[in-house]
Amino acid sequence: MTSMAPPAYKELIERLPRTFVPALNDQFRQWDALFPAEQRLLKAQLDWLDHLPPEQFKQLFAPLQDVESRMDLPRWKPGAAGLSIQDTGIIARSSYYPQWRAEVEKVFGRVDEAIAGSLTRQPMLIVCILPAGLPPAIEPLWPQLAGQGMWVQLAAPFGKMEHDFVSSLARRKLPAGIEAEEGTWVIECRSQLSPLVEPAGAVALSWNALEELRREFLSRLNNIRRDLQSADQITEELRRLDLRRYLGPAINQRPRVREFLRAVLLSGNGSLVFNNSFVQWGTSEALRRAQPQAMIAGFGIRQKLKPFSSVVLFEDQHAGNPVPDQDDPAGSLIDGAMLAQYVYLSAQGLSAYQGRCLTMMAIEDSDRLLLLGAQRPLPSGPVQAEQLKDYALTWLSHE
Amino acid sequence: MQFITRRALFQALAGALAHRLSAGPASTASRRLVLVTIGGIRRQESFSKQGLVNIPHFYSDLLPQSLFFPYTVNEGVTSHFNSIASILTGVWQHVDDWGSQKPAQPTLFNYIQKLRPGHPNDCWVVTSNKQLTANISPGVNVILAKQLLIEAVERIINGQTTRKKLERDQLLQEMTAVLETDYERIGWGVPARSNFQDPAIKQTFIDALGNFIHGPGAPVSGDELTFLVGCEVLRRLQPAMLMMNFSDVEVAHSGAYSLHVGGIRRSDILCHRLWQFLQASPELKDNTTLLIMNEFGRDPDGSSTNGFFNHRTNTETCRMAWSMVLGPAVRKPEVVERVVRQIDFAPSAGSWLGLEVEQAAGQRLPEFAG
Repeated sequence: MTSMAPPAYKELIERLPRTFVPALNDQFRQWDALFPAEQRLLKAQLDWLDHLPPEQFKQLFAPLQDVESRMDLPRWKPGAAGLSIQDTGIIARSSYYPQWRAEVEKVFGRVDEAIAGSLTRQPMLIVCILPAGLPPAIEPLWPQLAGQGMWVQLAAPFGKMEHDFVSSLARRKLPAGIEAEEGTWVIECRSQLSPLVEPAGAVALSWNALEELRREFLSRLNNIRRDLQSADQITEELRRLDLRRYLGPAINQRPRVREFLRAVLLSGNGSLVFNNSFVQWGTSEALRRAQPQAMIAGFGIRQKLKPFSSVVLFEDQHAGNPVPDQDDPAGSLIDGAMLAQYVYLSAQGLSAYQGRCLTMMAIEDSDRLLLLGAQRPLPSGPVQAEQLKDYALTWLSHE
Repeated sequence: MQFITRRALFQALAGALAHRLSAGPASTASRRLVLVTIGGIRRQESFSKQGLVNIPHFYSDLLPQSLFFPYTVNEGVTSHFNSIASILTGVWQHVDDWGSQKPAQPTLFNYIQKLRPGHPNDCWVVTSNKQLTANISPGVNVILAKQLLIEAVERIINGQTTRKKLERDQLLQEMTAVLETDYERIGWGVPARSNFQDPAIKQTFIDALGNFIHGPGAPVSGDELTFLVGCEVLRRLQPAMLMMNFSDVEVAHSGAYSLHVGGIRRSDILCHRLWQFLQASPELKDNTTLLIMNEFGRDPDGSSTNGFFNHRTNTETCRMAWSMVLGPAVRKPEVVERVVRQIDFAPSAGSWLGLEVEQAAGQRLPEFAG
């Protein structure tokens, strides 16, 4: 793991806007839990700022510091790390929050623009897979995305080639300079791809396989009383919870992935409630943080919400309810299509993926696949499994 | 995303005058206001070309009779408590989102109470939103209808009661038991215990729960219970002002888009049924204005805040809401195309009620009847 001595930036941190400091301290505190891409990015940002001439530094931050001076910010101690729910609430309800947010985005836009050339970029691949068993879509899927890409005719339904395709991605030789945790990730509802890729060193997270851990989180979150202190306290307990007893060896030997999982489950967005939300949010966060070269998102079919249990989404949906379990393929189609699109849009907002990402949107029992970001055509005629695999592997090995 | 065209809106208004009721104006003392707020709904899922499929009643049944403000901007904090508090006070509020603080200015409820002291049943809030504590307007009767349902369901599934199954009759018994024993703990805020013990008020709730459990259409959602409780409050108590908040759409925070859209469709149905209920009531028909507002939109697809899941961005998609006025405050059905602010509605509705909403920062909208 890369190491970084936070004291090297002590003087810089003291010059930064007040609202940056707790978040930055939090990043330092969990430095070893950051992925290599995050460490490289943070280091590049701080190095650039550290070497910025004082006048330019002042100009860059002056508008933001001006907004901060008008906000009634919490009085953080110098070493405070992370923002509590209460702190976040205070900032978000400030009259100056929109200006603050706009200025923060401007600063990061300027910094990221400046360091863009210093970060190595690789060709990337994202594969979003909707499950078999969904009803036929009333309208073509992803109409907005289709205009930016092309529908490809496959020689067989994608599900027939899926396992070999995904295994091959996981087994490929990684380009120089890429660590294993930046190679291939699978985040899926079921546990069908995980066993194929884990032996090859890929990272795999499965909603089904995480059931015990999810139950533990939900159970504890249900104990939050209706006040912010209680919410902060339970969140802090979950930050300290030893996850190892709930996880298999493949994740346990990767502390960064373990902490990533904790962060995903604690950051809402339905990751504890719905299987497809877990896949979308987990994938979007993995793209932002770990920046894997190949990312596979396997969506699934969620169950129908049961009468009355549905008002308590954080509770066990089976407990006490006489209504039998039932799949919701129609709802899952709507959810999966939207959330797969969100995965694509997330990547488009990340400089590591912009202009260098091939995206495949597939449905297991369909022989059509939406291809986005292709920089060379696929072979003409129905595409065979081998051709699709070669196409993806060639793309990933492209310098 | 394409907003429905001016032409389409005007077509929807065609014939509206024929629908317009010709009753004379009620005296301000007998005027009543029902305010419905709905958690975040984006334009692309509602008043847009592709969204109309989700709101057939709003578009085809209600809009033609309404004063419709398609561009109602939320310039405040796009959270539930602050947005609702801003609508009620006519001032952008910046208080705790979790409802632990009161709005900094008086609400419409306060103005009503000031004008008509000694009427404990004049002001009611029936809400699906648990953040709407009694702090929204102290002294007001607040019923957390959905919270009652949640409490009863949790007791059953966690084995804290002798009732073991989420079956309709057992749930009714459990909700009634919660109502009898624990109404304060679950957040039902009535100004005085004696008020809650009033047999007429208690029967209001019991009847609403019975309608929920045994009513047509097998209702199950929090908003359906809120609707039924709200209707019972209107039927029995006829308050000067009732606010109802629908929040089924907020399942969006958990990312189930199909369920979020289902929540929008349910709001569409419930608002239409509420209007039909008001129109069917001889006591309420001619003197009750229904004001329907979505609190805000949601974040745009592709935003760093995960799109429809949240409502935090400073974007038009999130800030531009819409508002619909039905009933006697509508001078004539009209689509008002200029941008108005949510804080303009407190002084407007207040003026129609005969209130002097003197601390509001918003401006009275001239389209409201006086």
